[in-house]
Amino acid sequence: MNQPATTAPKETCADCSIYRAARLKKLGVDVDRFDHVVALAGNPNTGKSTVFNALTGLRQHTGNWPGKTVTRAEGAFEYADKRFKIVDLPGTYSLLSTSLDEEIARDYILFGEPDVTVVVADASRLERNLNLVLQVLEITDRAVLCLNLIDEAKRHGLQVDDRQLSRDLGVPVVPTAARSGQGLPELLQAIGDVASGKIACRPHRIQNEPPAIKHALNELVGQLEAAHPGLPNARWVALRLLGGDEHMAEALRKGEFGRSNMTALTSQT
Amino acid sequence: MSDAASQPANSPSADRILQAAENLRRNIQGDLHEHVVEALYADAARIADRAVSRPGVAAQPTFDRTLDRILTSRLWGFPIMIALFALMFWITIAGANAPSGWLAWLLVDQGWPMLRHAAEGLGFPWWLSGLLIDGIYLATAWVISVMLPPMAIFFPMFTLLEDFGYLPRVAFNLDKAFKKAGAHGKQAMTTMMGFGCNAAGVVATRIIDSPRERLIAIVTNNFALCNGRWPTQILIASLFLGSLVPAHLAGLISAGAVVCVALLGVFFTFAVAWTLSRTVLKGEVSTFSLELPPYRPPRVLRTLYTSLIDRTIIVLWRAIVFAVPAGAVIWLSANVKIGDLSIAQHLMQSFDPVGVFLGLNGVILLAYIVAIPANEIVIPTILMLTVVATGSAEVGQGAGVMFELDSDASTKALLQTGGWTVLTAVNLMLFSLLHNPCSTTIYTIYKETGSVKWTALATLLPIVLGVVVTFLVATVWRLLQ
Amino acid sequence: MRGGAASLGVNMSNWTIIICLLALAALLVWLKRGMVARWRAGRRYAARVRREDAIKHILKCEVNSGEATMESLAGHLQIPTDRTAELLESLEDRGLLSLQGGKIRLKNAGRDLGLHLVRAHRLWESYLSEQTGVSEAEWHKRAERQEHLLTPEQTDALAARLGNPTTDPHGDLIPARGQPVAGDRGMVLSAAEPNQPLLVSHVEDEPAAVYSQITAQGIRPGMRGLIVEKLPHRIRFWANGNEHVLAPIVANNISVEPLTDCTGNDLLDEEFLTGLATGQSGRVLGLSAACRGPERRRLLDLGFVPGTEVVAEMKSPGGDPTAYRVRGTLIALRREQAALVRISTPNSIAV
Repeated sequence: MNQPATTAPKETCADCSIYRAARLKKLGVDVDRFDHVVALAGNPNTGKSTVFNALTGLRQHTGNWPGKTVTRAEGAFEYADKRFKIVDLPGTYSLLSTSLDEEIARDYILFGEPDVTVVVADASRLERNLNLVLQVLEITDRAVLCLNLIDEAKRHGLQVDDRQLSRDLGVPVVPTAARSGQGLPELLQAIGDVASGKIACRPHRIQNEPPAIKHALNELVGQLEAAHPGLPNARWVALRLLGGDEHMAEALRKGEFGRSNMTALTSQT
Repeated sequence: MSDAASQPANSPSADRILQAAENLRRNIQGDLHEHVVEALYADAARIADRAVSRPGVAAQPTFDRTLDRILTSRLWGFPIMIALFALMFWITIAGANAPSGWLAWLLVDQGWPMLRHAAEGLGFPWWLSGLLIDGIYLATAWVISVMLPPMAIFFPMFTLLEDFGYLPRVAFNLDKAFKKAGAHGKQAMTTMMGFGCNAAGVVATRIIDSPRERLIAIVTNNFALCNGRWPTQILIASLFLGSLVPAHLAGLISAGAVVCVALLGVFFTFAVAWTLSRTVLKGEVSTFSLELPPYRPPRVLRTLYTSLIDRTIIVLWRAIVFAVPAGAVIWLSANVKIGDLSIAQHLMQSFDPVGVFLGLNGVILLAYIVAIPANEIVIPTILMLTVVATGSAEVGQGAGVMFELDSDASTKALLQTGGWTVLTAVNLMLFSLLHNPCSTTIYTIYKETGSVKWTALATLLPIVLGVVVTFLVATVWRLLQ
Repeated sequence: MRGGAASLGVNMSNWTIIICLLALAALLVWLKRGMVARWRAGRRYAARVRREDAIKHILKCEVNSGEATMESLAGHLQIPTDRTAELLESLEDRGLLSLQGGKIRLKNAGRDLGLHLVRAHRLWESYLSEQTGVSEAEWHKRAERQEHLLTPEQTDALAARLGNPTTDPHGDLIPARGQPVAGDRGMVLSAAEPNQPLLVSHVEDEPAAVYSQITAQGIRPGMRGLIVEKLPHRIRFWANGNEHVLAPIVANNISVEPLTDCTGNDLLDEEFLTGLATGQSGRVLGLSAACRGPERRRLLDLGFVPGTEVVAEMKSPGGDPTAYRVRGTLIALRREQAALVRISTPNSIAV
């Protein structure tokens, strides 16, 4: 299912935003018990921290500076009787480099295996932001795109077709303006639905594999799939191995690719 | 592991896959990263093309562009920047005066006698009330009344400019100058922040993502005259330098002297940055990246709230934590006697030769040692110690009790009794700029760098410079006389 | 009694001197960190370095299908021939090589040692270029020291930390552990024909004086260029939008491979981001070879990938940096960074 949920509402109002917003309880830093883990990724300066604050009720400072969040921040919220732990990852342009913040973000999405990864993108600079979104979609198949700063995009005369985007990306896309709280109820609904498995994502994967690495990639993906049947992100793993990522090689040696191991690792962090 | 156990028997082992990967990657033509990013952007462009449309309205963000052209123009870029920051400082200094006075009245003029009476009523021994009220309470009260108002005004204004998106443009405008010194344009921001508070300035260096430039910004932040030091500069300049010229020029000369000291700080920022980047920091990685984000209307109330919580309160709290022991030390040093003299007197006497050599005196050196926790208490401590040293009984509240005098004339008279000359005043102003950072800042530097080495460098370098500069000034002064 | 006290005093001072001398001797000889021990350790270390340098030279000759001789070795290590003979004998004693029939042949142990040294050297250069700000001219010198200090395990850890790079900053392949080392690629620049598009495949880092001239000219492996004119005493080499005048001895230390995917005119028409005036736009062709490591990845992630449209939006009041609009974002680049981005402008496409 590519569209955000359209299941029949149990109550007449179950889908309207006021009803959904009322089911949000901000829990601040109280992250002791939780049912699901949400990771928050995104380019610098897209309002990621604003989204984080809006969901948790925390007041992390957000300046109009790229790269404000230096360390990983955690918070919690309760929605529809489920408790969510939310992890604000450092803002990065990409997940491919060796810089420390990219490593933190990459390893958390892959090895911390959150139940949902929310990618916050700047609607007014979509093309640039999609670079990171597509990388996240290579890694995980449970993601939500939060199309933030939609008000700013409008101010610049841009119109973003979120349904088209959702079809192309294969994950729920929610337009928001986190600063004014617009779209947050829908975002919560999407997070809840992906976490509970109500929405199954079919994430977009890079289509035009560069010819120079196509052969190497296919060869390695074949071997990985033979060794680990059902590996959701064999191509990303292969790509990292070709890039010489030692974390990935180590994980492979230890066989840390099964879901059960992931859960063990999650509860440790 | 369960996964590994359920592997089909003929599937390749991890080692074989890794070996295959190793062989394959050696045969890839060109840069893997480049191939991948290119493919990603190709897909991203296609997807964005299908989703984004521009229905008729202005195709370009013209407002942003026009504003950018003005704010970074050759003609207007610097004047606008200077005007904005001058305005910010003026608002801070003018606006902080009254609330600082109220706080001092409340905490020092009213609160302190009340507490003393209460302690007397409860029958505290003299040493206990002295230590707690004269020492600890008074130091803390002083720090709060001098520090809180300017920070509560400066930081929100700074944050508003930051949220609007102006500060990255300032970094853009000033990068060329910083680049010549081997630093990053964003250091303009952290230096500005340092004029408010060095500890906050050091935290702000997180926006600099290149290791070498970030260390430079941390080490040189102390050369930005923080608001704990402005009052010292202004007081001493108006007492000793303003009085050298006719009354109608006094204000101009003393203000000019303070600005000169601040500019000297900027000069040292660049000079030290230049030296560090070519010597000890030569081996650190250096990269440059500066994104100029779109302008966003700042949300005033939210900003006031977060900047108050994030910056002001945290910095104030740390200052208080460090002021408490300082108050205790100051009181004890003036009251614990070894032989006939108090510890403070012993120390002042032994520091005096060095102090005089540097064109200062023992009182000032001791005041700077006990006032490491907060620059705010330097002047009250100097006055108290001068009374202790000269034994003049007319002013002051007794040994170990910091105070300030209402009239400038009596302050000056007291200092002159302590042997102060114009040279002492000039060198005090220089030493106030060039001495170790306050303990809050030192602690912050340690937390941000995680390194004893860099913390030590940032602490000792300004002192060494201070000693050299004051010595040179004193020598030249004496030669000329 | 007085005299006795005085003579005792003399004795005492004599004793003091003797004890001091003994202590000094102890300091020199006994202590592990004593001066003599240090001096001897230093001698041993210098001898080991010389042995290892010899092995490396022999290995390099071997893979480049030449043959190391006593003379080449003496020249390389800058020691007299008789010392070289002693050195070779000691290497044979250690089972690192054989000297049968007057030919120097590496044994397996010697080859392994040589491979380790080459690997450590090239990895350390990669490390210096990617994760430190050490200037290019110092990479080789520092790696030359470090290769003797790294154990194979440390070398592996270093490789892992760097993401197992396959080439070093000079364009040489870094051998995997236990894999053979490949010979130098391509031909020397002075042997190439004028007007033939070339790819710089390798820059020889020895001798240091020549190498520093090459880096000062800004010539790096991976660069594309061509010979404009070839005279007996100098070669005019065009690369990266600049002409470099090279002495033959310099050109002999640059290896090139012919390029087939472009013509000489393409290279002469190359343009860089620095050439854009405010308001002009261009299309990214690629990043220059001199852009390495984190810098390269950062520029790519920021969107400077081939095919991207870039507009020079505004210059800082001082003229540098310049802000470029790339995929909807304003990115400020310093002049040296902009000089790393190859572009084509509408004009050049029309032509």
